[in-house]
Amino acid sequence: MDLNALTECLVSASCMVTQVTSGFIIGMLLFLVAVGLTLIFGVMKIVNFTHGAFYMLGAYFAMTVFQFTNSYGLALLGAAVGACVIGVIVERLFMQRVYGGNVLMQLLVCYALVLILDDLVRIVWGPEFKAMGMPDAFRVPPLFIMGGVVPPFYLFLIAAALAMAIILGLAIARTRFGKTIRAAAHNPAMVSVLGINTGLLFTGVFALGCLLAGLAGGLAAPVRSLTPGMGFSILIESFIVTVIGGMGSILGALVGAVLLGLIRTFGALGFPLFTEALMYLAMAVVLIVKPSGLFGREAA
Amino acid sequence: MMRPAFRDALLGLTGFLVLAALPLVFVSSALIDFVIRCAALGLFATSLNLLVGYGGMVSFGHGLFFGMGAYSFGIIMQRTGMPIPLAILLSLGVAALVALVVGAICVRLKEIYFAFVTLAFQMLVHSMIIAWVPVTGGDQGLRGGIPRPPFLGINLADQKQLYLFAAALLIIGLLAMRHIVSSPFGYTLRMIRDNPVRAGFLGIDVYRTRLTAFVLAGMFASLGGVIMSLFVSGAYPEFAFWTMSGEAVFIVMLGGTVAFLGPMVGTVLLLLLNDFVTRVAEHHGLVLGIVILIFALGLRKGLLDFVMDWIEARRTRRGAASLVPAPSPERIAT
Amino acid sequence: MSKPSSSKPSSSSINRRGFLAAGAVAAGTVSMPWVAGAQAKTIKVGMPTILSGRVAQLGTSSRNAAQMEVEKVNAAGGLAGRPIELVIRDSKGQPQEAARVARELVNSDGCEILIDAEASTGAFAVHEVARDLGVLCIHTNSETSSLTADPKLRLPNAFRCARQGIHDSAVGGTYAAEIANARNLTRWATCSPDYAYGRDTTAEFVMYLKRFAPKVEVISEGWPKIFQPDYTETITKLLQAKPQALYSCLWGGDLTSFIDQASIYALFSQMQFYAVNMADYTALTVVKNLPAGIHSGNRYVKTFPATPQNAAWGDAYRAKYGEYPTNWAWQNGVVINFLAAAAKKADSADGKKLADALRGLKIDSPLGADGTITMRAEDQTIVGYAIGWGTTIAKEPYVPEMKSTPWQRIFELEAEWKKEKGFA
Repeated sequence: MDLNALTECLVSASCMVTQVTSGFIIGMLLFLVAVGLTLIFGVMKIVNFTHGAFYMLGAYFAMTVFQFTNSYGLALLGAAVGACVIGVIVERLFMQRVYGGNVLMQLLVCYALVLILDDLVRIVWGPEFKAMGMPDAFRVPPLFIMGGVVPPFYLFLIAAALAMAIILGLAIARTRFGKTIRAAAHNPAMVSVLGINTGLLFTGVFALGCLLAGLAGGLAAPVRSLTPGMGFSILIESFIVTVIGGMGSILGALVGAVLLGLIRTFGALGFPLFTEALMYLAMAVVLIVKPSGLFGREAA
Repeated sequence: MMRPAFRDALLGLTGFLVLAALPLVFVSSALIDFVIRCAALGLFATSLNLLVGYGGMVSFGHGLFFGMGAYSFGIIMQRTGMPIPLAILLSLGVAALVALVVGAICVRLKEIYFAFVTLAFQMLVHSMIIAWVPVTGGDQGLRGGIPRPPFLGINLADQKQLYLFAAALLIIGLLAMRHIVSSPFGYTLRMIRDNPVRAGFLGIDVYRTRLTAFVLAGMFASLGGVIMSLFVSGAYPEFAFWTMSGEAVFIVMLGGTVAFLGPMVGTVLLLLLNDFVTRVAEHHGLVLGIVILIFALGLRKGLLDFVMDWIEARRTRRGAASLVPAPSPERIAT
Repeated sequence: MSKPSSSKPSSSSINRRGFLAAGAVAAGTVSMPWVAGAQAKTIKVGMPTILSGRVAQLGTSSRNAAQMEVEKVNAAGGLAGRPIELVIRDSKGQPQEAARVARELVNSDGCEILIDAEASTGAFAVHEVARDLGVLCIHTNSETSSLTADPKLRLPNAFRCARQGIHDSAVGGTYAAEIANARNLTRWATCSPDYAYGRDTTAEFVMYLKRFAPKVEVISEGWPKIFQPDYTETITKLLQAKPQALYSCLWGGDLTSFIDQASIYALFSQMQFYAVNMADYTALTVVKNLPAGIHSGNRYVKTFPATPQNAAWGDAYRAKYGEYPTNWAWQNGVVINFLAAAAKKADSADGKKLADALRGLKIDSPLGADGTITMRAEDQTIVGYAIGWGTTIAKEPYVPEMKSTPWQRIFELEAEWKKEKGFA
């Protein structure tokens, strides 16, 4: 334990700027994955254990597109669209068969799909770890804000993820698709009675979730090493986020993700050996105090 | 009440005799190893099914107790050299105590929340095992082998005797769990699974029943862990990792949750699949994944449950056929 | 893709031989004792390693190098006239699987020798199998010093053909202390993976560094988890601490992620970086913008030792498998050379006789510091392999010059360490 370092940081502006932004960096990527997870759970009532695989696919697609086009914009597009397309295929072929079924059976199908997707990545891209490399535009010295260090790429990353969060929030609140999603989350039977094609709606929600996860993968690709199975750790953390924030709540996912990011960065200062355990502890505490999560609706 | 218990005991004894005779017929240390691993994982998976199948409590953190059993047994043997049976009992006691604490917090929670909190506790214990290096050996596990001093003329350092010992523990464990699920307690547990509110109205202490089941399941899981630690002569953090819980859930699903022996069937199936696929295929994830998909989407239930339902369906069809005249071919065609 | 084709020789030969000799081995549960009789000529060598998951690349390279050397040995008549047949199995990096696979290789596949190409946790599990079964077992990838240094763990039938953490740290500490003294680098930080290898290696490095540069002070420590995808929190913590130099024993994809992420914070312009595991082609070739001037120990580079033999070995491997060897690769190549030399000396392929012959055996090897590597008799581990430190440049040969420490010096430091630990 190193509480001195933690208290020293809390009173220093430069340290606060650096740590808070790095908390946001971790948090915003996590949010993009977690929000898909929470949407899918909200509408289809299924815990999508394959979600990390789409993050992985996004990162690999981004790398490949970047290699051929040398454009990071196209790489991000490729990551999002690619993951989305695979998501539609997976949803149509497999996930649709397990909606509303036995929770354990859903889990088993997801587990199988993760094994398959990981191995397919291994066959296509090889078992060795890869790195995409930083796009030229971001290969610039970091900015200094109030003495804190902030790399421009991470500013872009936070901005992109925040923009997605806002667009998503508006879309859910204002558009017809968004209203249907909210209605379906609230009362699925009613939605189908109203003549809405739930099959199409489910595919749409799943695809949206995969698109966001793929985008997160694309955003992470320049700084994280790419390996088959890389989706796993972010999946676990996203679960913690959704559980803390409340399953099905978008705002919860945002707050939970940022909270987790801050726990990581400040935890690293104060409790360098127990950063991981702190996350689980946070989850356990939230679940015991408020089992439905910070922003969850129904009481459990 | 006496009859089924007697029948189970007879079946258990037969099972043990068959297992005991097995090495006489097939002289193979690989077969012996296989059965020992089946005993360890089989007890573990069946104990999970006490919660999943009979209690309706899907735990994602059951590996915690498997690891607990392996570690407490290994540490006791390495540090004290107490007789093995005593060490096993003590390990079960430790697991029961931990299960009591974890269960007291968890069993109130519903479904997915129960699953996640059990997972969280498992990961907490896992990080404790990794961090508490002087006692647990950290991420390298308990090294240097677990001493196996002979007791009552049994020498577990000999693989054949370890085999018989593991087989005996498996049968005893299975019989005990069978007894539990067919006792009034087992019926109460199932009633709670099906309708906790109604059970509450009937004056059943839902919380206490669930907690008891949780503690019992934890103890049997730790017995599996003890066998595994004897087999590998060590204990590793992987035993208490979430993947271990995942494997047990997977086994239960593969074999079936309704039939008592479903998890046993699942264990044999998974181990065969694992050993065979890793042996012949470079991309075993792909192969394993496809096989699971076929099971999950094709059968839609565990193998033994599927078989039992199929036999049941055939029997009723036969019964129906003997009462009414056989349907004409045209009717079948339509 | 070179990987799938390179895997063929092993699997197809297992299958064909297995089927011809004894029919289907089916689910791998029934042993066929007569298999060994039917093929008394070939000697089966079992090799549990990691072929799936995060470190699959290293396991694959272990397999490749071993196969490359086996082909040479077999062309020259095998082990005392018996051609080697490698039987390679995936343990997925799980210790209980490693133990299981190792037992199965001996018990049902009839392997007479085990080459344990597992990482450390798996290696300790296989070590127990070797204790149980008494089979000749050579660890080739575990660098954890205690595996052979701790007399409590020692077995007459278990050897190690791999570099050792304590050797690396002695050399690295000496090297770093020289620079620290010359440039007055006193404020140091460490950032290493939070598991036994990372903790031990870092502690040993710091111990030697402080000993030779007494003014050094470690002002910050970062312990990311192994395979952690994001190091931002550790990097910003380092930025706060403002050390003059940073030591890390992160490796593989973790190291490259760390470098990529630290680069955008311009971390390397603010401090000297000592990364013991940088000079390995798997890491060197992956980082797109390798910062110049990273100090690194040698894992495997074909320019160190700077001999034509070593360059030829690296090139031959590359020609065969389409990439340069790894650190795991050379260790698994050398073990085959050791077995061949031991068989020649003992004029037998019997495990016990091979073990006797291996003790104290010295062989010629392109990977030796002076062209030879010795299997030290007292603790049955290799010494005299090439070991050095140098600084990186962004393109081949990546580390133009390596500084080595004489082995005599390493022995002195190692002996002191053993005494402190109570190992000697």
